[in-house]
Amino acid sequence: MGFFVKNLSFGYGENIILHNITLRANAGRFTVLLGKNGSGKSTLIKIMAGLLPCKAGYIEVLGRDIGKLTSTERAGLIGYLSQFHTPIFPFLVEEVVLTGRASYVFTVPGRKDLEKTDEAMDKVGITHLRKRPYTELSGGERQLVMVARVLAQEPEVILLDEPLSHLDFSNQARLLALIKDLVVKGLTVVAVLHDPNTAFFYGDDFLFMKDGFIIEPQKSKDPWDASTLTEVYDTRIETVPFRGRSLVMPI
Amino acid sequence: MRIICFNALLLHLLGFIAGQECAAAKKNSPIAVTDFRGKQLKLDKPATRIVCLIESALSGLYMLGEEGRVIGIPANIYQGSVFRYYAAMDKRIKERKLPAPGNWDFVNIESVMALKPDLVIIWSSQTESITALEERGVPVFGVFLNRKEDVYKEMLSLGQLTGNLKRAEKLVDYTKKEIRRFQERVGAIPDAKRQSVYYMWAQGNLETSCGNSTVNDLIELSGGRNACAFMPDEHLVVNMENVIAWNPDLVVMWYNEKKNPSDIIKDPQWQTIHAVRTGRVHELPEIFLCDLWTLKFHFVVKMVAKWAYPELFKDIDLQKEKTAMLENLYGDKLKGI
Amino acid sequence: MKPFFKQVIFYALPLPLIVVSLFVGPSNVVNTSDIIDWLMRSISFSPVPDAQNKQMVEAIVLGVRLPRVLLAFSIGSALTVSGNSFQALFRNPLVSPDILGLSSGAAFGAAIALSFPLLPLQPMAFVFGLLAVGLSYFLALTRKGVSTVSLILGGIIVSGIFTALLTMVQFLTDPFKLQTIVHWTMGNLHNASWSKVRSSALPILFGIAWLFVMRWRMNVIALGDEETKAVGLNPEKEKLLILIPATFIASASVAVAGMIGMVGLAVPHMVRMMTGPDNTKTQPVSIAFGGSFLLIVDNFSRTITSFEIPIGIFTTLIGGPFFIYLLKKSLMVCREV
Repeated sequence: MGFFVKNLSFGYGENIILHNITLRANAGRFTVLLGKNGSGKSTLIKIMAGLLPCKAGYIEVLGRDIGKLTSTERAGLIGYLSQFHTPIFPFLVEEVVLTGRASYVFTVPGRKDLEKTDEAMDKVGITHLRKRPYTELSGGERQLVMVARVLAQEPEVILLDEPLSHLDFSNQARLLALIKDLVVKGLTVVAVLHDPNTAFFYGDDFLFMKDGFIIEPQKSKDPWDASTLTEVYDTRIETVPFRGRSLVMPI
Repeated sequence: MRIICFNALLLHLLGFIAGQECAAAKKNSPIAVTDFRGKQLKLDKPATRIVCLIESALSGLYMLGEEGRVIGIPANIYQGSVFRYYAAMDKRIKERKLPAPGNWDFVNIESVMALKPDLVIIWSSQTESITALEERGVPVFGVFLNRKEDVYKEMLSLGQLTGNLKRAEKLVDYTKKEIRRFQERVGAIPDAKRQSVYYMWAQGNLETSCGNSTVNDLIELSGGRNACAFMPDEHLVVNMENVIAWNPDLVVMWYNEKKNPSDIIKDPQWQTIHAVRTGRVHELPEIFLCDLWTLKFHFVVKMVAKWAYPELFKDIDLQKEKTAMLENLYGDKLKGI
Repeated sequence: MKPFFKQVIFYALPLPLIVVSLFVGPSNVVNTSDIIDWLMRSISFSPVPDAQNKQMVEAIVLGVRLPRVLLAFSIGSALTVSGNSFQALFRNPLVSPDILGLSSGAAFGAAIALSFPLLPLQPMAFVFGLLAVGLSYFLALTRKGVSTVSLILGGIIVSGIFTALLTMVQFLTDPFKLQTIVHWTMGNLHNASWSKVRSSALPILFGIAWLFVMRWRMNVIALGDEETKAVGLNPEKEKLLILIPATFIASASVAVAGMIGMVGLAVPHMVRMMTGPDNTKTQPVSIAFGGSFLLIVDNFSRTITSFEIPIGIFTTLIGGPFFIYLLKKSLMVCREV
């Protein structure tokens, strides 16, 4: 089991964001989390990544209780890609990717860390950008750099919060292909995606959220069934069959 | 007929004499004094309600015996080492009854005005306070002291303002006489044999006074040479290397709460200096007795002269000199202190 | 210029600079030939004809110049490393070690020590510098940890409090002590001595070494709290691990030399201009260049006048315009702020 979340609730003061969430994400598969803006997806992902405290509930990652992990252990297991990056100093791309190795480094990175960094940049296809200042890159390029950073960290589980935002069409395709490749190699990926179509085309398993609750699709129906999506997105949906699954459009 | 003429003559004579006296009286009453700002003060009669915000000027008023005219004193009289002297001289101060509405830096104008002064004595650099007081019609005597002549001038002005010029002149003459006494002996010392003196303020080892200052006067009068006389500045910070190069024969420290001469003698950077090698580092013992801004500065001259030329002044007993000075300046008021 | 050559220049610069600085000083005292003479004889152990002169050269070069040169270098390094670390920690290129009230606290500690004879100056300044930063940190601490904004706000408050307290001390003290306090806060290296070198060497070396170990981790912190957590470091812990030594060395510097402005703020920018923001490069270069910078400025201040001007004035007058130049030319190594 990649992730097992049980009875997770979370809120700020009286403002409850997550209501008693229970979910399962299979190991070695690409799980996509879908839902409207403000449904609590980002918060959920952050708590699963260990970035926010899990005070009410229980989370297990790859069979281990997340609350009992040290930061180093956690970093070795879970990689997290956040949505917003605000750099101040113009570090070079390779320097940024290198910081992903933080849990393996004591004082300064060694040769292995440099090698892993090179590998990560290569996998993501940004080696040609390595000597460019991070601050000079476009939003999409920066996104790819952060993905490389996560890869350099060598985690077993990757959590991505809207990884495709800022990316152009071809880079989206490239990143999704990369994710598929990682999953084939055994990584567990849980991603929040904006667009259901992309999700259904690339993803293996699907989770839905609305207003801080998990929406369970009806057992007999496919995840891309119009009824589920209508409930999740509060919009009328029309579906078009496509390659064994469906494309969906809001009307 | 003869009786009437004689009476008329007598009457005229009396009238004439009376007239003369009146004229004489009119000539005596207005006091005109120029303060250190160059401003002329005009008083109809000697001041009777003086607020004095300068400690050194205040001690001058006590020397004149005119402390009865003082109704306000500087705040720092009540703190620090000078208190015991003033407490011994004036019961009002001992009982802390005399108002202290300000000092060298801050003045409470309201408190001063509440005392209804007819004269305020204050540093001429306190321009804001001076303006505030003069606007309210109070005569202000501004003081600025740089050289010993200024100290004399201040004393004489105080004498005029209190109607006791005679005593003021007596005190100044006494001071000059005492200085001449020592001058006669040191005057004979040839230039080459004059001791070079380094004066050290309490703010720091490297803070000294050079050419144009009361310190310089002091050193010259005691027969020495100021180690940094060639620099014109009144107060400045010098470089340790320079002090080593000047190699003074005598180091005189202003009264210092944090350091003693032994600290300088032990200081590794001062080891090569002649004064340290011969153990001739001295500290002025007291603020009140050694105040360079009052006539008491001649006592410091004597002390420094004795330190600089111990053989020449073997016969001088500083303790006796101190007692004599206090008696001459303050009369009986500080007997036995 | 190739990075390799650049590095060579930075790391090779300090030692020759220190040696050359020993020759810098008021030339009327000892000239270059005297020093070379003395060096030659010391190395070859040959007898010296002029013992007096030798003593003086030794006293000046070893007793006055060498400690001053070493102190200037170590403080320059310390302030630059500290400033660089603070800027990485706060992810803000406009902060300096003063941001958390360090200077105000230290100045207050010094003012109290200068006003009361029994309190030792350096320890008081050091302790209060640390206290101020600790207080800022404590004020900013919430259950969620310490955010950058709340730390800066805490620093502003604490800075204000200590400045007010400092003003109060200045208000209540006498003119001599006040002058000492003001002189101290202006920053000074002219009182440099071996005892000052000894007392500051250990904390500064220790702190710089600690920060040197942390140099790569600063890159991680610089990307953000969330990003730091994501790669497995605890941002709170890392921030403290940077804050503590950076405060230590800045406080030790202020304790022995007063407040020297601009070095902690502007010099790290100069370093970054030359090396880029990677802290594995900026830290060692900060040590070499920061120390050299202050040493050069001090050499300049030593030769330009025969009396001492507080070095803080020079660093501000040189650093300030340079900073403006950097801003105008958009040469600052950071995103537009």
